[in-house]
Amino acid sequence: MEFIGQTILNGLMTSSFYALIAVGLTLVFGVMHIVNFAHGEFYMIGAYTVWVLYAKMHWPFFLAVLAALIIVGLLGFLSEHLIFRHAKGNVLSGFIMAVGLVFVLQTAVVKIWGVGKMKPVPAAYPQLLDFGGISTSWQRFIVIPVTILLLGALWFFLDRFRLGRALRASALNPEAAALQGISVKKSASTALLIGSALAGAAGALMAPIMSVHPYMGHAVIWTAFVVIIVGGAGNIKGTVLASLLFGFLTTIITTLLDSTIANLVNVLVMLVVLAIRPQGLTGHAEH
Amino acid sequence: MQNISYRQAFFIGVFPIIAVSAPFTLSGYKVDLLTNLLINIMLVSSFRLITTTGGWSLAHIPMMGCGAYASALFTGALGVPFLISLPLSGLTAGLIGALIGYPLARTKGFAFFVASFAAGEAIRLSWMRFKVPFGGHSGLMVPIPDLFESVSWLDFSTAVPYYFLTLLVTLICLAVLYRLDRSRIGNTLKAIESHEDLTRSVGINRTKYKVIAFSVGSFFAGIAGVVLAHRLWAIEPHQFGFTTTLYLLVWVVFGGSHTFSGPIYGVVSLTLLAEVLRPLAEWVPMIFGAIIILTLIFLPDGLESLPGKIRPYLWKGKERREPPPPAEETRPGPMAAPESSER
Amino acid sequence: MLELHALTKAFGQNTAVMSLDLRLREGQIMGLIGPNGSGKTTVFNLVSGFLTPTRGRIYFQGRDITGLPPHKIARLGLARTFQLTAVFREFTVLENVILCCHLHSGTNLWQQFLRDRKTRRKEKSVEYKAMGLLEWMGLKELAFDRAGDLPHGHVAGLGIANALAAEPRLILLDEPVGGMNPTETEETMERIRRVRDNGISVFLVEHDMRAVLSTCDEVTCINFGNKIAEGPPRAVCEHPEVIEAYLGGEVEECYL
Repeated sequence: MEFIGQTILNGLMTSSFYALIAVGLTLVFGVMHIVNFAHGEFYMIGAYTVWVLYAKMHWPFFLAVLAALIIVGLLGFLSEHLIFRHAKGNVLSGFIMAVGLVFVLQTAVVKIWGVGKMKPVPAAYPQLLDFGGISTSWQRFIVIPVTILLLGALWFFLDRFRLGRALRASALNPEAAALQGISVKKSASTALLIGSALAGAAGALMAPIMSVHPYMGHAVIWTAFVVIIVGGAGNIKGTVLASLLFGFLTTIITTLLDSTIANLVNVLVMLVVLAIRPQGLTGHAEH
Repeated sequence: MQNISYRQAFFIGVFPIIAVSAPFTLSGYKVDLLTNLLINIMLVSSFRLITTTGGWSLAHIPMMGCGAYASALFTGALGVPFLISLPLSGLTAGLIGALIGYPLARTKGFAFFVASFAAGEAIRLSWMRFKVPFGGHSGLMVPIPDLFESVSWLDFSTAVPYYFLTLLVTLICLAVLYRLDRSRIGNTLKAIESHEDLTRSVGINRTKYKVIAFSVGSFFAGIAGVVLAHRLWAIEPHQFGFTTTLYLLVWVVFGGSHTFSGPIYGVVSLTLLAEVLRPLAEWVPMIFGAIIILTLIFLPDGLESLPGKIRPYLWKGKERREPPPPAEETRPGPMAAPESSER
Repeated sequence: MLELHALTKAFGQNTAVMSLDLRLREGQIMGLIGPNGSGKTTVFNLVSGFLTPTRGRIYFQGRDITGLPPHKIARLGLARTFQLTAVFREFTVLENVILCCHLHSGTNLWQQFLRDRKTRRKEKSVEYKAMGLLEWMGLKELAFDRAGDLPHGHVAGLGIANALAAEPRLILLDEPVGGMNPTETEETMERIRRVRDNGISVFLVEHDMRAVLSTCDEVTCINFGNKIAEGPPRAVCEHPEVIEAYLGGEVEECYL
């Protein structure tokens, strides 16, 4: 019984983590029609921000996370302005540009802080959270409420705010949106700002758990891709659902077998979904 | 017979001289570099074949790995001689390519990207996970190629003989790929990218041709993998990981993929650049990243499009009766030859 | 030659084609007319295999081809053009037609690589055939021009040549004279008549009433996916419902 409870808790934590990263990626794809392959690096920089501010400069953890959100968000905004804008919705170009950005960011981090042993970040909330035999640390647990909070805020923004609705309109039909006076460029910048901020937040929260190193983005990005493909790229609800699916799938398989097989299974699930229903679980059929 | 342009004369005359003499004047390390360059040239050219149908396959490097692992197993565990293992491993890679190419052919654009990555990654994960027979994370040992008993003075464990072996294999591969590109089948592949619906409506089975392109491309990637494996004497999964794929993409995008030689320009120039920048080795990824971003913004068709952009400035003011000899045709020469005698 | 039985296509709530019955006889030129959005292109896409019907069946030369993919339908002898863009832009005019001779020029990987004498001869004969087709369409002088650079009228002509290269028994022409001036229109319609005289049946969609009237043996008019009239061109044109359908949308007059 406890095993099930523990698994559910672990599954929820993993799902939240996936959701935080994948939603940002899917938002960007929906509005800009490009895949930000550097999304993993934004996650990495969020983690490094926490390492620098919290572990080395002893800021309060919360503040460091907030700073990560803002810094990475700004980084995303700049990337759109300087780089992705020129892709003009061409998926391949956007991807390769993101590849270039990956190289740049990784090298920058390596030069500044070096590569080598991973740098641990002390846990901010090391106390154990324990009930009914199920336990985890608060540090790991907070990813759930933070994700709910951030995604809730995102939903609120997309639903109630003009800029948010403009984003949705741009995603659905850029030409119609432009005719309505919506600045598609502004929507693109906003999308990348928000998407990157979410990735940065994920990195920030994960820093104490996973330690930081320049290539930590790599492991994350492909899982994120798997999630958004299965959920339907550009579709936030679908992405959240897919995050739950893969969060639990990965947790269960890793517990029973090992993580390499879990990766393998994730990849195979995606291949199967692509073969049967290329638009993902909830996406719209392309003609 | 068409007039040979200056460029073609250069390649026919100068290049072989360089290719053959260089190894004797360079250090062992540099000869190995050239060998690697040749392997990468095979890689980009075979990759380009797949892109002519419109697909950018992120599984190409794992296909190379398939060839490498196949040869390691053939020559190592099964004792197959190198000369047989080479084409056999290529065929293995080609077969695997056909197998995954079929479901992949039904996807497009972004889905093709991710699906090809997934397929490649699934293969790579199997190498990592299964110690038997793939050796798991630590990989496999690969025997030195033993070619002809009689040619005992040629030691293929050293750089120079191996370089010539690689050169021979590369030239054969390029010849085949080039012929294919210029043929009607090559055109059909490009037609599929140009206007897929039109090809379908005149009876071309686009899935079949996409699979053909994918598996032939994978075959040559496999060959490249075999050549790499037998030089390194050991292979492991991380060599065929995503970083290598990223470099492949950078080479091809930088050089351009619309012409046959575009990707070759890309890989040669960037490899040269990386070598020149060796004192700054840690900065190279960043420099490459910046180069590729700038290329996509300012020269999106890659290096190969540069002559086309400069030419109007060179010929300004000059009277021309006919258009300048085209640099590299993407269409078959003999088929459209204006000088054919029947007309 | 071609029979549509209760052909229906719905996209979600929207029914583009509703229970359409149509019969095209061999050696006929059949015109499909109707205001914009009436479902004409959808019918074409259904017949040529690019869309699968929601209901109903399609018979070609007595064979049920419902649901077959386009390349298989082409193999059975049905070819089509596309509105405005029936060509491979990056290739020359001659290469375009050669590419479209694919069906009847059988080749394989090995041959293409070896290019031995037999293959070379075969390729030459394909080239001859393509040149002949171009000559017939009046495009011979443009054989080595890039298709994407051609003026509109020639692009349309090349599109028809491309479709003919597949040696069809029935050819579907999607707005063959769209955007042409009267001289070009007449030339093209004359060629279409010659196509029919050569034994190839023609099914065309067109807005230009004069062209339709002068060339078609029979006309079907649809609106909102429903057939509202069929018969000889003049009769259809004078049909009250047809006139109303057109007056409601674009203004096309019935020339007599």
